Amino acid sequence: MPDPLETIALVGNPNAGKTTLFNALTGAAQRTGNYAGVTVERKSGEFFTPHGRKLQLVDLPGCYALDGSSPDQEITRKTLLGEFPGEARPDLVVCVLDASNLERHLVLALEVIELGLPVVIALNMIDFAEQVGLRLDPAKLAEELGVPVVALQANVGKGVLELKQALRHPFPARPEAPWKSGPEEEIAARRRSRVFQICEVAARRPDHHSSTRSDKLDSWLLHPLWGALAFIGLMLLVFWSIFSFASVPMGWIESLQSLLAERVTTLMPDGDLRGLIVDGIIGGVGSVVVFLPQILLLFFFIGLLESSGYMARAAFLMDGLMGRAGLSGKAFLPLFSSYACAIPGIMATRTIDSAKERLVTIFVAPWMSCSARLPVYLVLVPMLLSGKASTFEQAAIFLAIYALGTLAALGVARLLRGKLGPDEVKHHFMLELPPYRAPQWSYIFRHVGGRGWSFLQKAGTLILAINILLWAAQTYPKSSSDDPAEQLAHSTMGRVGKIVEPIAAPLGLDARTGTAILTSFAAREVFVSSMTQLFRVEQGENDEETWTALRKKLATETWPDGRPMFTLPAILALLVFFIYALQCLPTSAVVAREAGSWRWAAAQFVFMSAFAWLAAFAVFQIGSIFL
Amino acid sequence: MGLATANDLQADSLLSLSQAKVGCDFRIRFLNGPACEQLRQLGFCESLQVRKLADGRNLICSVCGTRLALSRELANQVMVAVA
Repeated sequence: MPDPLETIALVGNPNAGKTTLFNALTGAAQRTGNYAGVTVERKSGEFFTPHGRKLQLVDLPGCYALDGSSPDQEITRKTLLGEFPGEARPDLVVCVLDASNLERHLVLALEVIELGLPVVIALNMIDFAEQVGLRLDPAKLAEELGVPVVALQANVGKGVLELKQALRHPFPARPEAPWKSGPEEEIAARRRSRVFQICEVAARRPDHHSSTRSDKLDSWLLHPLWGALAFIGLMLLVFWSIFSFASVPMGWIESLQSLLAERVTTLMPDGDLRGLIVDGIIGGVGSVVVFLPQILLLFFFIGLLESSGYMARAAFLMDGLMGRAGLSGKAFLPLFSSYACAIPGIMATRTIDSAKERLVTIFVAPWMSCSARLPVYLVLVPMLLSGKASTFEQAAIFLAIYALGTLAALGVARLLRGKLGPDEVKHHFMLELPPYRAPQWSYIFRHVGGRGWSFLQKAGTLILAINILLWAAQTYPKSSSDDPAEQLAHSTMGRVGKIVEPIAAPLGLDARTGTAILTSFAAREVFVSSMTQLFRVEQGENDEETWTALRKKLATETWPDGRPMFTLPAILALLVFFIYALQCLPTSAVVAREAGSWRWAAAQFVFMSAFAWLAAFAVFQIGSIFL
Repeated sequence: MGLATANDLQADSLLSLSQAKVGCDFRIRFLNGPACEQLRQLGFCESLQVRKLADGRNLICSVCGTRLALSRELANQVMVAVA
């Protein structure tokens, strides 16, 4: 029987480059960013030493010390101490240190050495340290610490082979920690003075404070006025690029889709199966897949901001605004990520120290309008603007939609934060502002690719299944009548619609729209394809045509007494409903896991759905008076 | 100048990081307050040089080549003297 794999743990301060090193060693594509706290879960992978020995590598979340209070630091501590049940202690620890920052990072290294495990120090970002004029002596450092030290530059793979060499058998001896002896309460002071001694000989700093490029950039980008303007400009640029650049590939997807539908229509005889394939599968899934370019672009920009180091500045700039909502700047990254998708956003809340602030952030994150709502907005917004509307007007309405969700989220956060009361231990805002670095393109693209793939998988599984169910629900049971409207009323869907009608009616919507909303509770994107099917809109040449046809159809739709159905207040109510409703099963599942209780997820779901209905109700009723 | 006067001058020149002037270099003399340990872990240790870069609700300073943003409350607990 082969021996169980020996485990190597990667430990280090936040943003020391552990994940970059992990990826360089294992060839995996974990997400990295130039931002403290990108890794919030343990990830493991395997690699071979130059002698062909297989080792398991565990990437741990970054921490400043082993006694931190946030959940990710606890994971690190428990892993190193072997406190996770059923899991052995790591056989060796690779401590990743930022070479330009040894005064701070060595403290953790000393703590790790004290644990009595074999340790290898990986001195990362050696290029940057030399750039700022630091005189490093890895050999001296190894001598002082009593453990092997490998200088490397993980982002370009320099020194990775040397590190693998250092991890071969036999593992280095367990180091001694002479500073450990002495009174327990003074251990921190002794560690610090040891760090100073080591830095004196192994990492001499130039005496004068030189102003780096990052400093100069920061004097503009963190300026109270220019910084804020730059921030707003950047965010507008991101949103504008997403909408304008995505239109070209979206056209390609649409023409591919119509080509497929045409092919199937000519090749297959008319019948239920053709209806299923053309209307149910190609039409339904296609109308969702068309948003892939926008989603990819959003993740690309988030990756770019993280990797360049600007995201930490954004957190700093937003701390004031977040403070008004009872949150700190650290809540900014999770909330901003939620504009793409609430799931990674909610996972990113783990970097927030205060447990209560974390719960509040998780609670409001789904109100950041995620990319799944985009299809709905894209169909409905042009209906608000009668006739040809300029891109500018549309962009303004989109901005208002995003603002509505965000402001409500911040308002609720403030109320909820007040309700939960202050923390037992006060947490202060402190954040490392990493130097600006050129983005790591390969990681950004791999990250974007991964996101896109998981979206396609969702489209291929969950959304496909819902579309087939929808198609079946409105096709069976078959009625003897040839009239499509009568057939629909006779079908399962028509009957369900009758049940939800009393809920939809106060919002100015009929049974069919109510049914479409009902189907969108599993995934919002389904709404558009449901509407297309429920209102019997002919599939056009491409999606844009289908949507135009849908809009035309909706505009001419009337109540039985002849009043137009989709009036301005009704469309507004529908929009408001989609801004606030929590219609995403995967999000609820992640919330339950992250908050540690289904009750929190259930409360969030009930609150958001009720709030959405009430807000839509208010908009429709008040709107009906004035418009 | 007598020794006593020199000591007094030094005591007088101590100020908290939040009072310190932007753009100047300081040396950390001691930490005083409930968040001391947290600050030390972040790198605010006695005898280190620190430069204050920006003021505001949160201030920015550079310690050992790293820029850190920290709240005013925390900065109040870092006592510095002009380097």
